[in-house]
Amino acid sequence: MARPAHPPAMGPSKPGPTRTAPPRMPRQFPMQGRYRAYTLFDATGVVYLLLGLLAVRLAWALGDGEAAWSAAMEGFRNPLYLAFHALAFVSVVFVAVRFFRLFPKAQPPRIGPLRPPPQPLIVAMLYATWIGVSVVLTAILAGGIF
Amino acid sequence: MKALLLRLEPIIWLLFGQGILFGTILLTGWVLVVGLLVPLGIAPADALGFERAHRLAANPIGRLLLLAIAALPLWKGAHHIRSLAIDFGGGSRDPMVATLLYAIAAAGSLLAIVAVVRL
Repeated sequence: MARPAHPPAMGPSKPGPTRTAPPRMPRQFPMQGRYRAYTLFDATGVVYLLLGLLAVRLAWALGDGEAAWSAAMEGFRNPLYLAFHALAFVSVVFVAVRFFRLFPKAQPPRIGPLRPPPQPLIVAMLYATWIGVSVVLTAILAGGIF
Repeated sequence: MKALLLRLEPIIWLLFGQGILFGTILLTGWVLVVGLLVPLGIAPADALGFERAHRLAANPIGRLLLLAIAALPLWKGAHHIRSLAIDFGGGSRDPMVATLLYAIAAAGSLLAIVAVVRL
């Protein structure tokens, strides 16, 4: 039997006239079957939050001057930061692949007189934009251009 | 607090959606170079030396991109951690958890705005 769910999460806020069985968590939640990708997708939120905070810290360091910037960049050589950024890179790619597959399905059938492009075209445009921006940004930041 | 969160839901969802889409598109190159290639010595360290980094970031497009890289992932992160908290801990503590997470995202976003303005 699947374990009980948190009733406040899935139950009605007020009991209705119809009797219902108590809610139960799906058997495969959280790390089996399709729930694995679902849970991991949400868990990338931790990585994104930390990435955002690190970027804020770097932006502040850049405004504080050369010493602060150099110290912040030097800190990124720490193995803990390297391990985190390796995990972050995998997380970002995972989010991209999963989200780009979901994105076309979430489009409205039409916006006014306009219909969205076919789903494969939307996916192709997303991948082209992602890969293109990533290549250009990598080249700029790594000193290849500009 | 729950009523306020519901009223702010459209704004939160907008920022969360931009965090997934534009955050992900921009973070791939950022994490690769800033977090891995330069610290590992695969890309030259002077590519992100102070002078060059400041020159890249201080122009209007650079400021906008740096702001997006810093602020948008905070909203994606806050919203997905909230979702995890509901799945694992139930909805009873959601108003408190959500308020805390969005407060972190909002504070981080404000700091990011100030940081790019003072460059």
